[in-house]
Amino acid sequence: MKAELEAIQAEALEALKAVKSSNALESLRIEYFGRKGKLTDVMKGMGQLSNEKRPIIGKLANEVRTALTEAFEAAKNSLNNQQQEQQLETESIDITLPGRKPAYGKAHPVMQTLERIEAIFTQMGFQVVTGPEVETEHYNFDALNTPPDHPARDLHDTFYLTDGHLLRTHNSPVQIRAMENQKPPVRIIVPGKAYRVDYDVSHTPMFHQVEGLLVDRHVPFSELKGVLVSFARQMFGDQTQMRFRPHFFPFTEPSAEMDISCTVCLGKGCRSCGHTGWIEILGAGAVDPEVFRAVNYDPEEVTGFAFGMGVERIANLQFRIPDIRTFYENDLRFLHQF
Amino acid sequence: MGGVVTPIFKDLSMNVTLNWLKTYINFNFSPDELAERLTMLGIEVESVKQLGAALEGVVVGKVTSIKPHPNADKLVLCQVDIGETNALQIVCGAPNVCEGMFAPVATIGTELPTGITIKRAKLRGEESHGMLCSEKELGISDEAAGLMELSSDLSIGSPLTEALGLDDTVFELEITPNRPDCLSMIGVAREIRAETGNDLKLPHVALQEDEADINELTSVTIDAPDLCPRYAARVIRGVKIGESPAWLKQRLESIGVGVINNIVDITNFVLMEYGQPLHAFDYHKLAENRIVVRRAAEGEQITTLDEEERKLTPDMLVIADAEKPVALAGIMGGYDSEITEATCDVLLESANFQPSSVRATAKKLGINTEASYRFERGADPEAVIPALDRAAQLIMELAGGTICEGIIDVYPGQREPLQIQLRAERVNFILGTELEADEIVQILSRLGFGIEASQSEENMYQVTVPSFRGDITREIDLIEEIARVHGYDNIPTALPKGDIPIPPPNISVEVRKRIKHFLLGSGMMETVNYSFSHPNCFDKIGLAADNPLRQALQLKNPLSPEMSILRTTLLPSLLDNAQYNHNHQIDNIALFEISTVFIQAEEPARVAGILAGEIGGGVYGNPYRHPDFFDIKGVVEGTLEVCGITDYTFNKTDDLTFHPGRNAEVLLEGARIGIFGEAHPTVLESYELPYKAYLFELDLEALANAADFSKRFEPIPIYPSVLRDLAIVVNEDMQSDVPIALIYSTGGELVESVRLFDVYVGDQVPEGKKSLAYTITYHSATETLTDKAVNDLHDKVVKRLHEELGAELRM
Ligand SMILES: [Zn+2]
Repeated sequence: MKAELEAIQAEALEALKAVKSSNALESLRIEYFGRKGKLTDVMKGMGQLSNEKRPIIGKLANEVRTALTEAFEAAKNSLNNQQQEQQLETESIDITLPGRKPAYGKAHPVMQTLERIEAIFTQMGFQVVTGPEVETEHYNFDALNTPPDHPARDLHDTFYLTDGHLLRTHNSPVQIRAMENQKPPVRIIVPGKAYRVDYDVSHTPMFHQVEGLLVDRHVPFSELKGVLVSFARQMFGDQTQMRFRPHFFPFTEPSAEMDISCTVCLGKGCRSCGHTGWIEILGAGAVDPEVFRAVNYDPEEVTGFAFGMGVERIANLQFRIPDIRTFYENDLRFLHQF
Repeated sequence: MGGVVTPIFKDLSMNVTLNWLKTYINFNFSPDELAERLTMLGIEVESVKQLGAALEGVVVGKVTSIKPHPNADKLVLCQVDIGETNALQIVCGAPNVCEGMFAPVATIGTELPTGITIKRAKLRGEESHGMLCSEKELGISDEAAGLMELSSDLSIGSPLTEALGLDDTVFELEITPNRPDCLSMIGVAREIRAETGNDLKLPHVALQEDEADINELTSVTIDAPDLCPRYAARVIRGVKIGESPAWLKQRLESIGVGVINNIVDITNFVLMEYGQPLHAFDYHKLAENRIVVRRAAEGEQITTLDEEERKLTPDMLVIADAEKPVALAGIMGGYDSEITEATCDVLLESANFQPSSVRATAKKLGINTEASYRFERGADPEAVIPALDRAAQLIMELAGGTICEGIIDVYPGQREPLQIQLRAERVNFILGTELEADEIVQILSRLGFGIEASQSEENMYQVTVPSFRGDITREIDLIEEIARVHGYDNIPTALPKGDIPIPPPNISVEVRKRIKHFLLGSGMMETVNYSFSHPNCFDKIGLAADNPLRQALQLKNPLSPEMSILRTTLLPSLLDNAQYNHNHQIDNIALFEISTVFIQAEEPARVAGILAGEIGGGVYGNPYRHPDFFDIKGVVEGTLEVCGITDYTFNKTDDLTFHPGRNAEVLLEGARIGIFGEAHPTVLESYELPYKAYLFELDLEALANAADFSKRFEPIPIYPSVLRDLAIVVNEDMQSDVPIALIYSTGGELVESVRLFDVYVGDQVPEGKKSLAYTITYHSATETLTDKAVNDLHDKVVKRLHEELGAELRM
């Protein structure tokens, strides 16, 4: 019987090797393990064995059964794997077919820049404030220490309305309005549109500015420098060099312009920066005492600084658009680039 | 604040040269260094140009002999001496070439500004060893008619740049409008003094006067002392009008001032030197030989130097003789009294005029001159006499003649120098510096201020403002001067130490941000349009004649009709954008804009959008499709949803911008806050769009007012939901939301949602009917609904739909 068991095992293992489908595997399983299967038959014959032989043969029979069960299981797994592989192979696709990209829009490039500037100043505690674009001479000029016969009031620069109002030429009127409505400390930025009669490759009649104002009991010029240097580092990168030059604005004293090292040549000098290595990016200064007086702040009690920058100009340091009027054509081929 | 974009406070240009400046002050800066120092003092250097940079290799030559060219009628063979052993043979075709002429010679190897490199050449068979040049070929002027004629006192063979005084550097300066004192060589030299501490070297003037008393020859009367603070004059007799000497011409030409004759050149030279405009009259052309400074009489006229006849008004200040105006005060002289070759006696004017009067007159007459330029910004009344004396002396030296004894100086506007109190502590308080008192004193005195420590108060100074600094009137102005000379870059950098104010909550900023994110996320591109519009845009979008949106604010000075009003709605701009893109073959139009509009005194913010042409990816698997009403409706619904607004209603309108059957207004508590729909075919026609367009516009303030971000947690359902589909046949004109409302009202809390998933009209349903299919979700928050409970409820729903809406169940 021992020989018989060994023969069955050898035969079954040999037959398993030839099995190619799960149906064949099932038939083979029945051939050995079924009710009338070869292994089942042998097991049934065990009762006729002597008491000495029965445990020995019984042990052997169990070993053969276990071995064959494992072999059948292995064969089944291998067959399944093969089948899955075959199926996966037939399911292969051309992955170069186009993806179904969800539609998504893009913010206008000037707005992207404006929002970055806003974010940097809000982190520094500046509050975003807005105000009217149609203004009076008082808020746009008088309250900003720009006397009536100042050249800035020429019809040439300012858009006037037929009703005597004007379109603000800068966002500074909002600073005046903010100071009228609020006691110091004031720490605001004013993003928004301003207007000047100008139309060429580097000027649009409507443009965006971000102006800022910080007023408190003691705000020295050194803090103006600190805030603007910190802004420029975040906006233009750590490697950027900055310098402050004296300048003139009627509403600040001392007044300054800030230059950053040219973003094209990194300060070596090129056509973009007029071979100076520097690019002017904003105007600033300590708030003129006359401006404080116009809003009933006492210039002996408070000091402060203000600054203003053109958003299109800053946007274009990065984008390098030859004609900035392109910003407002809203050509989709242009808008999709940013 | 302002600045940067375009300076509305325009800077003025002024040219100075390195050599010229050095005659007034010693300094050792290289051109680039000087440019840097001036810039950091607040005088921005716009450009630095080496005058003769492009003329290397060009020398002074003398044409010694001329022979005809054997093979060409129009060419000649010149022997040219350039100071070397052998004369050069040069072939030349210039009409003015002649023997003995001095002319510039470009030697072999020279690269001319025109880009030509001179090589040894054969011209029609004859050798040419260089080129005789015209001014144009040298880039000196546009004169190309003949060779540039050089003065015969130049040394043969010397470099042209040296011979012409072109070995100099020109700086183009931008002078801010508060610094008219820097519109002169001496003014700029003063700034260099502030930087270096070196002394100024002012021109040495020692006049020799003859015995004729000026008071017997002329008189000056000021009838308008408010407009003319000072008027001084000298008379110089027996001058000979002629060409200026080379040095004077060089100086003026180096900064781009045209050369006229010795007298005019001298007044221009002194103008540039002192910043003091001067005017020379032909003494004998002045009626009664005297000067009256007065306002023009009604109807008076003057022909100015530029031969224009000008009508005068009584607000204009003129210089007149006994009878008539002979000059526009501070702006331009008169034609009739100008210096001519026949002039022999000169009355020289040096005066000071009130800035706003000069400005108003110049603006009114449309004249801008070097003189008006300076008077408008404020000239130094104390420069009047030094400049007058300097010019008189130069006239005597360069044009002969004698200076009559004395000077007429009428000075009704004379004032004591301004004194300002300066607190040394305030300087450091304002600047954040730690300057010592003696540094402050040194800076101010180098700038020409008088400064004395106060006797009574510690750290207090009495500062006297020099007459040329009319811009300095307050302590803060002095502090700026100190900061400027100390150097902005030497002021420390610090972060604000004050408290950060707590900002009030701003819901409209939040609403704007959420809406923008939603619209971008739904595939729409953000546009920014001009606030300006064309008045015809209201017709183009079909607004009714009485629509209040037509009441737009108008510009008084628009750039063009397209930009002559302020927009009251964003829709025309978006339609313009659609048209622009369609005209450029781009038809995937999904755009929005967030901006204020201008409605009389109000500036409400709006959000508006357009969908047109093709949406989708336009690729295999995601083809293009035309947007429809429900795309724009979805955008509007989503916009309301991100604001947390749910209690809105939509209602058809008869707004003429839209298709009458495909539009809706958005109502919040009965008030219209916006509108959306399909553009009316006539609107599409106005914008030449070949496909339908879907528009929306909502009022942002209304959205902000209604916005509700107060979200509360709601428990996730514990008990399972039961879904039942229901298809009913109803009259074709029934709105799809009527059955929905009935289902909700029937099921109450047990109906979680009703979703319309199909609408069918066709063979399967009777004529005039349609089928609506809904999925109803039943759910209870307190128990698992049994089949029976759901069936009973569903039957009740079906029954009510049948009884109240005539709906038949569709099998
Ligand atoms: Zn550069």
